[in-house]
Amino acid sequence: MKKVVALVLAAIMLLSLASALAEKETLTLWSIATEADANYQTYIDALKDLNAANEKYEIVMEATENEAYKTKIKAAMSAGEGLPDIFFTWSMSFLGDFVEAGRVYCLDDVLPAYKAELTDAMLANTNYDGKQYGIPLVFNVVTLFANMDLLKKAGWETAPATYDELMKCCDDLLAAGIIPFGVAGKENWCLSEYTEPLLVKTIGAKGLENCYTGVDSWNQEGVIRAMTIFTDMIQKGYFDPNASALGNEETKQNFLAGKYAFYQNGSWNCGEVAAAGENFVALPFPVIDPEKASLYEMVGGPNDSLAVTASSKNAADAAVIAMELGRAISKGGNLNGAGMPGWAVNYDTSSVNRVSNSVAEMVAQSSGMVLFGDNFLSADAANTYLDYIANLFAGNITATEFAEGLAADLQ
Amino acid sequence: MMTAKEKKSPGQLRFRSGGRKSFSNILVYGVLILWALLCLFPVYWMITFSLKDNAEIFGENVIGLPRHWLWSNYARAMTLGQMGRYFLNSFLVAVISIVITLTASCMATYAMTRLVWKGRDRMNKFFMLGLTIPIHAAIVPLYVVLGKAHLLNSLAALFVPYSAFALAMGILICTGFMGDIPYDLDEAAFLDGCGVWGIFFKVIVPLMVPAVATVGIYTFLQCWNELMFATVFNSSEAYKTLPVGIQGLAGQYLREWGPTGAALAIATLPTLLVYVFLSKKIQDSFIAGAVKG
Amino acid sequence: MRKTLTYRINIFLFLLPALFLFVSVLIAPIAMSTYYSFFNWNGLKTPEFIGIKNYVELFTSKSISFIPALKNSLLLAFLSVFIQLPFSLWLALKLSKRIRGERAFISIYFMPVLISTVVIGQLWLKIYNPDYGVLNVALRAIGLESWTRPWLGDKQVALGAAFVPTLWQYVGYHMLLMYAGVKSVPPELLEAGVLDGCTEGQLNRHIIIPYIKPILRVSVIFAVTGSLKSFDLIYVLTNGGPVHATEVPSTLMLNLLFLRNRYGMGSTIAVMLILLCFAFALLINLAFKEEKPV
Repeated sequence: MKKVVALVLAAIMLLSLASALAEKETLTLWSIATEADANYQTYIDALKDLNAANEKYEIVMEATENEAYKTKIKAAMSAGEGLPDIFFTWSMSFLGDFVEAGRVYCLDDVLPAYKAELTDAMLANTNYDGKQYGIPLVFNVVTLFANMDLLKKAGWETAPATYDELMKCCDDLLAAGIIPFGVAGKENWCLSEYTEPLLVKTIGAKGLENCYTGVDSWNQEGVIRAMTIFTDMIQKGYFDPNASALGNEETKQNFLAGKYAFYQNGSWNCGEVAAAGENFVALPFPVIDPEKASLYEMVGGPNDSLAVTASSKNAADAAVIAMELGRAISKGGNLNGAGMPGWAVNYDTSSVNRVSNSVAEMVAQSSGMVLFGDNFLSADAANTYLDYIANLFAGNITATEFAEGLAADLQ
Repeated sequence: MMTAKEKKSPGQLRFRSGGRKSFSNILVYGVLILWALLCLFPVYWMITFSLKDNAEIFGENVIGLPRHWLWSNYARAMTLGQMGRYFLNSFLVAVISIVITLTASCMATYAMTRLVWKGRDRMNKFFMLGLTIPIHAAIVPLYVVLGKAHLLNSLAALFVPYSAFALAMGILICTGFMGDIPYDLDEAAFLDGCGVWGIFFKVIVPLMVPAVATVGIYTFLQCWNELMFATVFNSSEAYKTLPVGIQGLAGQYLREWGPTGAALAIATLPTLLVYVFLSKKIQDSFIAGAVKG
Repeated sequence: MRKTLTYRINIFLFLLPALFLFVSVLIAPIAMSTYYSFFNWNGLKTPEFIGIKNYVELFTSKSISFIPALKNSLLLAFLSVFIQLPFSLWLALKLSKRIRGERAFISIYFMPVLISTVVIGQLWLKIYNPDYGVLNVALRAIGLESWTRPWLGDKQVALGAAFVPTLWQYVGYHMLLMYAGVKSVPPELLEAGVLDGCTEGQLNRHIIIPYIKPILRVSVIFAVTGSLKSFDLIYVLTNGGPVHATEVPSTLMLNLLFLRNRYGMGSTIAVMLILLCFAFALLINLAFKEEKPV
């Protein structure tokens, strides 16, 4: 009899132990990986793996579209209510504002375990006052995509290598009835994807960074020169005349459907571009002023990050999980062609598409990078900055007014 | 009071007319028909392109009827975007708002029109202020308040503000309808032994049924379309309303006009169908409310 | 009735739901908005008191284009009152005169009002699409290729293009209101006019319109305050672009609040909107005051 009781008791204990272990706690993750996002599959796969491997926690993701996400996270941070455990964020002042308000969990404790796979450069943009708050994911650079079929129609078998060749190529494209550049005039940040490379190739990556930080004035000859080139390109008709009414998604689809010869946007598009056909390639933007800039200086850098909220009930555990997630996304995003890896690459990359590979090669040879202007600058300044670019594109102001105005308003 | 036979509408009056009347008649009909077409055409276009594939939409057959009726677009819209859920959320928010608005308006109007006390006119004017206050001006403080009350990301985040903003109109309409109820009925009920609440439930409420439709329509229109609060206060998929859902959908699937059109149609057709079947009732209620206001 | 304490309590109870909602959702937030408008606040840090600096910046800053935005919504209000309303009135008058298909016309005209504003916005976005939109396609088909343009991207026509659906949608709404008014004109007045030898036009001008002045007043107030508050369609169509050409105070407010993290300034705009709506409502009431029919 006693044995039976003992056995039953043991069974009950084991069962309750098992069920306690089986109950997972949920961690909420907020991200922008909606179905249309380049990294959607990356997140889904990474979460599946992590959840299977983790016995204690189940990560549940809530994805919101990019623009709405900014409102959502800011609003939640402002109210201090309804915050998730882990959230996607952009670097510099976007996360910085939240850090300042004490809403973000400091990662210094969990960082050492993963430091070997992360470089300082990748961590720098989410490091505030020497403390680490953000986890790198994939990073992106502005890339010039080209449709070689259309270039061939204009008589160019190989891509233009110098600035002069590029201008000539555009003229030839126009003569052949092909629109050289597609740009989403409706979205200001897309315009900056064109102006910033022009600036970098004229005054160098460091030169542009100095403008953002105020070390150099915007009102300089290099800036005016680069922006004059921009306005010239517009006036010569190198951009789609309907650009001002088009959004980014439409512009990209137009490019992939063969409407434009060139499309300049972030490297998160690489996978999609490569999938569209062998005729699509990535090119470096040619140098305009060889004294100040070199071929592989680029616009971009570590920006997309994950962070942990200070109010999370399981902040320390969430931080570790977030690290693992970050590494998984870096690997997955890289393999899916949705960005450059922010973490060390210690896995087989043979499946990465050729367009991403060419971009990766450019990045490897890069002698300087400067982050996208609208991320580098704080929200209000970024808005003013983008407005200036939009005004320049619309022809409301001249290049000189652009330079003088920015210097006056931002510095 | 005129008998029904003697009442004539303005249209039945004979005017002195000359030969010019037929020409101006044609002109008038022309404009009326043209405007009708302009009202209908966007809906027609939406339905037709929701059934086409991209090739037809983008080039071959922009305006005509679809060659192949791609009902698959609708299936795609239902799965891609959770149109069903958005619809449900919008519907629930609207219904709850209407209930709250009606109840609060009726009660407040009763207090201000049937009960006698000093300052009731001033109170009425106070509520009428609500007609001029732009709803979006309250967004930041409301956000903070809703946040602290843990109401964000829920249906309450919407039906609470919507009801509040519909109150002014609701009270205006109720005032009009309640004015039609004779005071004798109140007195009769009072003599029967009813107190203030008794009169309210036995006399007023049953006779306010016509107002339900009018208040319902005005409130519905306000809730169904509202975009700013719906975007800011609710961002989780579970509680998105129709306008927010459509915005998100259209933004993500820009190249897929067919399914986008289908989503728009799904959002529109139920309302239109209800309208087609109840148009007389709806218009009458609308008119009744307006005239009394 | 007796004025006892129970009586007074009952009054309060009846008023309670409405008062509670009204004060907590309208009045209190307005007060809070006014409060925040005197601060510099990014939503996260502690607010910093800056007095009326926000108001000054609102009217003088180039990067916050408030005056242009205000001008846009005033223009919309003007167009509403002087184009949309007269057309609605004309429709109402014509339809009330025993036209064939009166019921059908009214139903059709009211339809756009019932369609979600977002749907209308998305639909017109497609209509205005430079490559595949019906408008440009139709223009090309009838040989007016030179008239095609990126409607919502061209700063010269974007505002007009954005106004078209705004005005279009609510014609039916105002028309129905006025139709109701016209139908309620006592026939004796009209018969008297006819007996005196009035034409249709004189009947309209001297009898019907004066009689429906209260309804016209309501329409004008709705049209003007609606224009000042207009948000949904503009947000969907252009979100204030291109480069603020179609900016209206509401889109500006949202932009300042959530894109530029300037909660204080956003509140300032909110306060301005309230003051403006209030001022216009008063003005319009005054303008209509003399002609109150029996």
